[in-house]
Amino acid sequence: MLELKNLIKKFGAFTAVNKIDLEINSGQLFGFLGPNGAGKTTTIKMIVGLLEPSEGNIFLDGVDIWKEQIKCKMKIGYIPDQPFLYDKLTGREYLYFSGGLFNLQKDFLKDKIEQLAETLKIGNWIDKRCEEYSQGMRQRIVIASAFLHDPELIIIDEPMIGLDPQSAFLVKKLFVEKIMNGSIIFMSTHSLNVVEDICTHVGIINRGNIIFNDTIDALRALKLQNKHNLEELFIQLTNEEE
Amino acid sequence: MNQIIHILKFKFLLFIRPDAMLSFRILFKNIGSGLTYTGFAIGAYFFSQTIIHFLLNDLKIGLFLLHQLISIILFIFFISVNVGNIIVSYATLYKSNEIHYLFTKPIEPTKIFFIKFLDNFFYSSSTLLMILFSFLAGYIVDFKLSIAVLFLLVFNFIPFMLSAGSLGVIILLVIIRLGNRFGLRKVIAVLAFFYILSIILFFEKSSPKTIVDSMLKYNQISVRDLHLVQLLPLKIKIMPNNWLAETAYWLVRGNLSYALSFTYLQVVLSFVLFVAAILLGRKWYLKTWLLNLDHSDINPSGQSAVKSFVSFNKKSFLKSQWEAIIKRDLILFIREPSQVIHFLVLLFLIIVFIISASGIKFVGIGNFYLQTMIYLSLFLFDLLFITTLSLRFIFPLISLEGETFWKVKSSPISFNTLLICKTSVISTIILLISLSLSYFSNVRLGYFMTIYSVIITLFAALTIMSVNFGLGGIFKNYKEKNAIRLSSSQGATITFLINIIYMLFLIALLFKPLSQMFLSFSLTREFQYGVFILPILLITLISIVMIVIFLRFASSSIKEDI
Repeated sequence: MLELKNLIKKFGAFTAVNKIDLEINSGQLFGFLGPNGAGKTTTIKMIVGLLEPSEGNIFLDGVDIWKEQIKCKMKIGYIPDQPFLYDKLTGREYLYFSGGLFNLQKDFLKDKIEQLAETLKIGNWIDKRCEEYSQGMRQRIVIASAFLHDPELIIIDEPMIGLDPQSAFLVKKLFVEKIMNGSIIFMSTHSLNVVEDICTHVGIINRGNIIFNDTIDALRALKLQNKHNLEELFIQLTNEEE
Repeated sequence: MNQIIHILKFKFLLFIRPDAMLSFRILFKNIGSGLTYTGFAIGAYFFSQTIIHFLLNDLKIGLFLLHQLISIILFIFFISVNVGNIIVSYATLYKSNEIHYLFTKPIEPTKIFFIKFLDNFFYSSSTLLMILFSFLAGYIVDFKLSIAVLFLLVFNFIPFMLSAGSLGVIILLVIIRLGNRFGLRKVIAVLAFFYILSIILFFEKSSPKTIVDSMLKYNQISVRDLHLVQLLPLKIKIMPNNWLAETAYWLVRGNLSYALSFTYLQVVLSFVLFVAAILLGRKWYLKTWLLNLDHSDINPSGQSAVKSFVSFNKKSFLKSQWEAIIKRDLILFIREPSQVIHFLVLLFLIIVFIISASGIKFVGIGNFYLQTMIYLSLFLFDLLFITTLSLRFIFPLISLEGETFWKVKSSPISFNTLLICKTSVISTIILLISLSLSYFSNVRLGYFMTIYSVIITLFAALTIMSVNFGLGGIFKNYKEKNAIRLSSSQGATITFLINIIYMLFLIALLFKPLSQMFLSFSLTREFQYGVFILPILLITLISIVMIVIFLRFASSSIKEDI
């Protein structure tokens, strides 16, 4: 279980994230929505260890992420919005490198890479250098690298950037399979269709505050109640806050 | 440990792996690099042999004084590696995308620190070591020493440079840690003050003039070869540059046990500083990294200065395209603290140099040969300043367009306008500095030499800047956002070596007329300045050819596909 308790991040006088409380259980795919600059990436960076919370705690299976960093990072797979790849490495080498950072055994890694190459359809170009990849190819390699160690928690910042419809379909399928197997996915996105398609729970953040946190069914009910589509509802919710 | 080995293995793979597609351009670049390195290595080898021969046989300064001069050069070298490591470490330990990537993985921050520290050190020091190797080869051949001595000296250089690098990282950690408490600008200002003060104090204490004066008390020339270490102040004796010079001195004298005792000190110091850097990194790296990240998120540095100085809101007398490019480059420059700090440090050194150079009297010092050497050394310093500034601020210009170059390339702006806009501000500054340097170091020699040297410097500055701009285009790397890493890349090193070759060409042309001039001055004979005409014609011709060629390189590299 991932728990964010009274989480605050301040940059000087500016509060980017303000007293967030969230609980996400195994088997849940949590869609994290919000306008630009609302605090989504800041929250994600605090979970993956790139920004230290000003106050509050983040727990993964009851362990404070900032107190047991290495232990928790072993359980996390992170897909950033601007992924870093070593241009001179091939996709396969990059995956071997990433797996090595998690101390994965070579044989296990070899099989896992083959399996992910098959799932994400990256086998045709996995042995080309990363500098030759398109944005979508890079994104798929990074997604594969995040799944190598079968993480309990997968943190994703904008997963669909640069993906063609076929790849987006494959990725969504992979995410759903993972939560079926008991993983937690915490996904920040601007794509409301993706949220409606695959998320089990939704949180909306605006100006650092959580303004909605419930199941996707509750969001759908709210949508029907207001006779809006999801886009209109999102705009209404975030505007009300302003 | 496994993780460290795993990462280092891939780092090594990245280092040795050539560029993906072997095109004619890449092949040309690699062959050119190889030839330049070889040429420079041979040049360095002969240069060190010649200069040692000149100092020992013509000026008869003796072994001890020679090694004291080497010690001073080593001190400058130590400072260069140290400052270089502070700046490069900031870029690689705190700013690089790779660090963000590694921090999201289950790796101890200390391991990341250790790997990046080594990465940094070898990245910025490997070329220096290669050049040093050539200088040392010349040194051991001149003294007829064995190959084992060469390796022993190289073995001494590695801990020497490691000490400089470790100290650099320690200073960086302290700056960021204290910067959070007292304000980064204040801390940098205070540390810079003490740093510069300690350098000034070193030169006060180790002034070659003081040492020579002390030695002159021992009138006989033979005494100058003695190890007059008692003349040195204690502060100088305990410095690693002095230990390295002492090692070399005792190796030349054939006393291995004395040499090894200084090697021992060198290794111990580097070990202590390295361990201190790692321990401090263990304690502070994660903390300072997070602090720095917080800082960069809230502190758009230089914004207040930008408001009043180059704000886009202000009306400008420039054409809009000119204004857009020039102001963008200036704003980006001001908002990158490492750019500003480095520029200010260089400016400070230039001012110190101008003040020192304007006070030098050539006539009346030693013989005409020495006067020529002093004059040419000053000229060389001037050219080195131009080269350093160009390498640091002009070489990265095209690469710094970065992956957003599409915006400029898809705009209705001509390539010529773009080239001029990109170079105009920094070129004007470098030209003003170099011409001032030239003026102040020649003003005591009369109108002719002042005007003559200003003209030569003008051509030299334009050529060096063109070489840097052109090769900056050839070796462009739009993915590298860090100007410092660009300036210390392999391409930059090759550019530097080409600049050195050009400088040697200038010196070779000027040596004869200058020595004739100083000889006439010594003999109080009338001097015919006509001997300077042929060199200036050749310099003008070659410089113009080089300017045209390298500007074409820049122009064609800008036009290439992104």
